[in-house]
Amino acid sequence: MESAAAGGAYADVRFMRQRSEFIGTRNGEVDELHRDEDEGIGVRVRVGGAWGFAATRDTSKRGAEAALARALAIARAQPRAQATELAPEPVARGEHRAGEGTDPFEVPLERKLERLLAADAALGNDRRLNLRQAHYGAYARDTIFASTEGALYDQRVVDTGGGLAATAVDGDKVQARSFPGSHRGDTMQAGYEHFDAMPLVGQAPRLAEEAIALLSAAACPSTTTTLVLDGEQLALQVHESVGHAVELDRVLGSEASYAGISWVPPDAIGKLRYGSELMNVTADATSPGGLGSYRWDDEGVEGRAVPIVREGVLRGFLAGRESAALIGLERSTGCMRADGFARQPIVRMTNVNLEPGDAGSVEDLIAATDHGIYMETNKSWSIDQRRLHFQFGTEIAWQIEGGRRTRMLRNPTYAGVTPQFWAGLDAVCSRPAWKLWGILNCGKGEPGQSMRVSHGAAPARFRNVQVGIA
Amino acid sequence: MSALALAERALSCVRAGDGALATVAAERSLLLRFARSRPTQATAVDDATMSITVLWDGHVGSAATNREDEESLTACARAAEAAAESAARTRGSGPYPGFPSAAPVKPHDGFDAATAELDPAVGGRALASAFDVGAAHGVEAHGVWSVGDVETALATTTGTAVVDRVSDAFMKTTCIASDGRSGWANRTSVRVGDLDPTAVAEAAATRATGAFAKRRDLVKLEPGDYRVVLAPAAIAEMLDWLALGAFNGLAHAEGRGALVGRIGTRVAAASINLSDSPRYPRTLPRAFDAEGVAKAPLPLIQDGVAINVAHDTRSAALIDGATSTGHALSAGGSSWGAMPTNMVVVGGGASDETELCAPIERGVYVTRLWYTNAIRPNETLITGVTRDGTFLIEDGEIAAPLEDLRLTDSVLRVLERTEALTGDHVLWSEGEFYGRRFARGTVAPAVRSTLRFSGGA
Repeated sequence: MESAAAGGAYADVRFMRQRSEFIGTRNGEVDELHRDEDEGIGVRVRVGGAWGFAATRDTSKRGAEAALARALAIARAQPRAQATELAPEPVARGEHRAGEGTDPFEVPLERKLERLLAADAALGNDRRLNLRQAHYGAYARDTIFASTEGALYDQRVVDTGGGLAATAVDGDKVQARSFPGSHRGDTMQAGYEHFDAMPLVGQAPRLAEEAIALLSAAACPSTTTTLVLDGEQLALQVHESVGHAVELDRVLGSEASYAGISWVPPDAIGKLRYGSELMNVTADATSPGGLGSYRWDDEGVEGRAVPIVREGVLRGFLAGRESAALIGLERSTGCMRADGFARQPIVRMTNVNLEPGDAGSVEDLIAATDHGIYMETNKSWSIDQRRLHFQFGTEIAWQIEGGRRTRMLRNPTYAGVTPQFWAGLDAVCSRPAWKLWGILNCGKGEPGQSMRVSHGAAPARFRNVQVGIA
Repeated sequence: MSALALAERALSCVRAGDGALATVAAERSLLLRFARSRPTQATAVDDATMSITVLWDGHVGSAATNREDEESLTACARAAEAAAESAARTRGSGPYPGFPSAAPVKPHDGFDAATAELDPAVGGRALASAFDVGAAHGVEAHGVWSVGDVETALATTTGTAVVDRVSDAFMKTTCIASDGRSGWANRTSVRVGDLDPTAVAEAAATRATGAFAKRRDLVKLEPGDYRVVLAPAAIAEMLDWLALGAFNGLAHAEGRGALVGRIGTRVAAASINLSDSPRYPRTLPRAFDAEGVAKAPLPLIQDGVAINVAHDTRSAALIDGATSTGHALSAGGSSWGAMPTNMVVVGGGASDETELCAPIERGVYVTRLWYTNAIRPNETLITGVTRDGTFLIEDGEIAAPLEDLRLTDSVLRVLERTEALTGDHVLWSEGEFYGRRFARGTVAPAVRSTLRFSGGA
């Protein structure tokens, strides 16, 4: 940092060490078993209006200085551009540790394998079950950050999770069920206890039965109807149609090359109606157990809770120091995150949560719904580059008639346009039904970066939704 | 130390088990991003991953590190041994048949020294060219310029000791006009000298302004089946889903693949000839797969008939008489399966996309697709949206820009209804580069077919 400061540049450096462990079983056999770790430093500089970033695994002083020199050379080689401000930020200093509980990397492999194999076996051996899978994953990230502004912090987070999946095949029909969710199960910022407490064996028979039953279930009808979504699918709905849409870098056009732009204009705060008055969304980097929880982001900004939507009106964006300054925000919202040492931070989600309502449990909500469809567990997802027109599918659905679930439906899909969809939100279940759901592989950036994020959601109801697209 | 020497040193750290495989993947790369005709982010990477996979009574366990000192490699080997031994102790004998035997690999022309210099000045000039073109057309330029140099070395206790060094260069430009319409173009090659930043930007700018369309008014199309001309990028993205859902040997062996029961039968129009060709002149060549098995051409669809699926050692072991076709994505076999990564579609008789449009009374010209995703992989049913240059074809000509559309259709159905293909075919790559850089792409012509659009986008 002294070298960089002497050169008149803003610079920051991150040392990151990442460890991961993944175990999977498949039809009673061990499918995957690997432990990865890497470490290195990434140096980010700004010279005039151009950023440069260089990463190296050589963590010696010589390696760091070489990376700094490379980053400066890259910044200087680009066409000149006007320098932009960085929103001011108190200097980050201190330590932080998160992911309470037993270190998952210290738990013996055999214990994890036995648990997974037991869950795999509990799915049963119906000949129509072609694929039984159980999986476990743990991730640890250590970051030391310093900047020419005097920041210096040391932060460690641990995430743990797992799940179960059953795939049934009958001729050309293939159906699957997952627990707790379909995106590698469920992962939280927590110790091994989070995985250990999962009722995988207990849920296995239901998964197998439903996967098999789906083979002969009625197809989801093509109609416009009332849609009730479970929390897991709603988490993905929030992710795709809210979280990404309010990333300020895409709002400002910086991500048009890959991830896209946004239908939300940069001057929309306080003016744009995003959804019904029941829609309240918060980006909260302090949510206990959230994959997007931390003390400081990868730009040295303190994480905090940021209102995004209140009573249906847009109130904030996910921003970094540069993007915040561009629209006159007083501070960054602490959303700059990097996928390892060899990637530079970009605006990412933290824990973008749909706040709970007062509609009770999902059973209460269904009981209060005269006619509609209840969809559960995400299966497919696609949305346009403005985060406006989407089409999603779930693993399973049930018809709702007279406040009761009736027949099971296979291949459920639904589509919509973001503000119209959220305008149809007319009930959100209560706090006891609210849960943080983890997404392990949110992709963005060039070169590509994968990020773990969470979304808190309780089941909710939407009116006038097009279902049964495919 | 050379990559192969490092791989052999990592291998020598293994002290237990029934066999081992060590891989070194060393990446040097540079990527410059730009948005609104100004540079935004630039990323230089210099990193390597050392992976060790140990075989123990039919089970494999793996560990990886990016540190190459003796202590780190030894710890990596111990972790891989512990993983494999744990699986064997818990489960008993496993199904993995063992690492492939050593076999020679063929050289290729996939490395260019000039590209491997990763010169930021070359990239800076490329960005400046894109900005100049944007200014000339009154549009903003967005995109990336990237170059990479990846050396992969692999050594096994079965005698394999191979090295593959490849380079890649990639440029993508999206131009956005003041009315919000956009156009896109990209180019990828082994050699940075093959990139023409000005030409890429011109193509993107022309699509954004719609200069080649007869009129400028934006048209909205109702959902339905339409005859389409799919530019190489669009059809190539669709073919990626065939790699996952149809040509995937593990899915096939487990009864989930789209070609189950259909090998040897007609699955596409007779004009479709598709293979995995790792040394095709226009592809990004590869010498061996993640288990050290030599890459070789593999016909997948010939004259519309499904011929093969791709296998690694694990998926091949599930089918009597099958052997690895050199498509392993990770040592021991990936949980995702074995997939082709150098697909080539043979061109047809049409001279260009204009000729493909000629017989279409009312249809759609698609330059690229976005956010495609599988709805039902075993049916190759996907959804996605058009993006950055979608046009109405009327009376055989490109008539007007279209509002983007959502497609929901089966990739095999699109290939079944293929009417014609251009003679020329180009290499398309996503250029996304998640994780350790692995540049790959599909060589495809433009295609005329029919596509189901399920709504707007």
